[in-house]
Amino acid sequence: MNTFIRVLSSERLKMSKSNLWLLTLGSPLLALLVGLLTNSAKDASGYMVLMSTMSLFHALLFLPILTGIFSSFICRYEHVGGGWKSLLSLPVSRTSVFTAKFLIVAALLALTQLLFLGSFLIASQVKGIHEPFPWAMLTRSIIGGWVACLPLAALQLGFSLRWASFAAPLVVNVIFTVPNILVINSDKIRPFYPWAQPIQAMIPASSTNIGSFGFNLSFESLMITVVGSFVLFFAAGLIYFNRREI
Amino acid sequence: MSEYVIKTNGLTKSYRGRNAVSDLNLEIKKGEIYGFLGPNGAGKTTTIRMLLGLIRPTKGTVQILGKNLKSDKINILRRVGSLVEYPSYYGHLTAVENLEAIRRILDVPKSRIDEVLEIVSLTKESKRAVKGYSLGMKQRLGIASALLGSPELLILDEPTNGLDPSGIHEIRELIKQMPREHGITVLVSSHLLGEVEQMAGTVGIIRDGRMVFQDTISNLRQKAAGGIDIRVSEAESALWLAKDAGITGQAQQNVLHVEGLDDKQVASLVKRLVDNGHLIYRVEEKNKSLEDIFMEVIGEVKSL
Repeated sequence: MNTFIRVLSSERLKMSKSNLWLLTLGSPLLALLVGLLTNSAKDASGYMVLMSTMSLFHALLFLPILTGIFSSFICRYEHVGGGWKSLLSLPVSRTSVFTAKFLIVAALLALTQLLFLGSFLIASQVKGIHEPFPWAMLTRSIIGGWVACLPLAALQLGFSLRWASFAAPLVVNVIFTVPNILVINSDKIRPFYPWAQPIQAMIPASSTNIGSFGFNLSFESLMITVVGSFVLFFAAGLIYFNRREI
Repeated sequence: MSEYVIKTNGLTKSYRGRNAVSDLNLEIKKGEIYGFLGPNGAGKTTTIRMLLGLIRPTKGTVQILGKNLKSDKINILRRVGSLVEYPSYYGHLTAVENLEAIRRILDVPKSRIDEVLEIVSLTKESKRAVKGYSLGMKQRLGIASALLGSPELLILDEPTNGLDPSGIHEIRELIKQMPREHGITVLVSSHLLGEVEQMAGTVGIIRDGRMVFQDTISNLRQKAAGGIDIRVSEAESALWLAKDAGITGQAQQNVLHVEGLDDKQVASLVKRLVDNGHLIYRVEEKNKSLEDIFMEVIGEVKSL
């Protein structure tokens, strides 16, 4: 455990001096813009409409893409010039390196979600919505959306470890993110499609009236699928990394 | 067993049935500089990767500092510093921050960072982003990182690769002081004998994954012990005179070549030749260079 904390602190240092965290600003800012331009529908809950519109692009496109970028970026320094060799010749277990890198990605995604929450709060203030504050919905969307990114983060981290190229995992990520628009229309595929899990978690449940996204899968079942795929991808990445020849 | 810092037993690594390293028995004693030599692609880096636990041997065992690498990897790596192929660094960080990233993992006191920077004389440049460093400086930073954990064993893979002569000299001096001043055993690999012979006490020469020579550098030098070339007016008759005195040699054109003579014997041979009316133009010592020996050792295997 002690070594793990040390590896984590070392990873944090490497990332803190990069400007990667700036990327967390983009999507929440765009979402804020969308939020400010949203016209609240008369018959629906203002908060719910706001969350649905704001999280649409955020969770459908940007969140999966950001997940890929963070995962790629966190492996980039090691891929350049034999960094894996020097990192893994230090007294560290590969499991702790993998887990530390994953946690940094997860933390960056959490930061993105918090900023998104900030955007949501600002937009709802500006809109002057007078409804009881939607604690349940917010918790579900923000935290649920974050958790739903984790299987994808584990998968993308695996790809990023596999390919020395910075771009290859990103290309794969974008190729699989774009079909989200179609995949979310299929009841059968979408819960299992890692790139489409964030949007399903973030869009409020009963917002059928604002579009075609009436996800009939309950939040609980979705989370079970998410956790299941997380365990699968994380374990696969970990086993691969432990066996890899450096 | 414990007198060896590194001891491998039948170390083998094969890729798709082809042996990159086969049946290697490295023996590296405490406090020495061991030169690990071989042409490019002979299996040096593969061996070093196995020593550092980066790849698993197909067969054989590795003992480092008296412990089995397989079962005690983390504890062993804690006591080993290494630089494999290129110095790896985080370009956006300064030298101090680079070392700090490693220090956090090794959990050594912060003062070690200044100490190692001092050793590799990078103190002045330590606040600059590493991406602006010259190759030599990066290499020195790599050695600084390797030294950070106060290791008992230093493994350096081609540490002078790509450096200019002054950079090579700096690194060599740095390596030479390791056993002397810090009591560190050093394994340094290279494809250039000339580079290693100036610092190593023992050399291991590897070719096509097999160890073809492992002994002290002085024993390697003895193989190189040359003879004396004497340029005379009449080589053939000079050879007869030498044979009379019980000295064997060869005569080519007007050169008499003799081997294994001490100073006295040479003097008496020369006197004998002069007394017998030979003109002596030159007496030269002909040593085979270590480079020749190196090529011979490598060539022997090739011709097998």
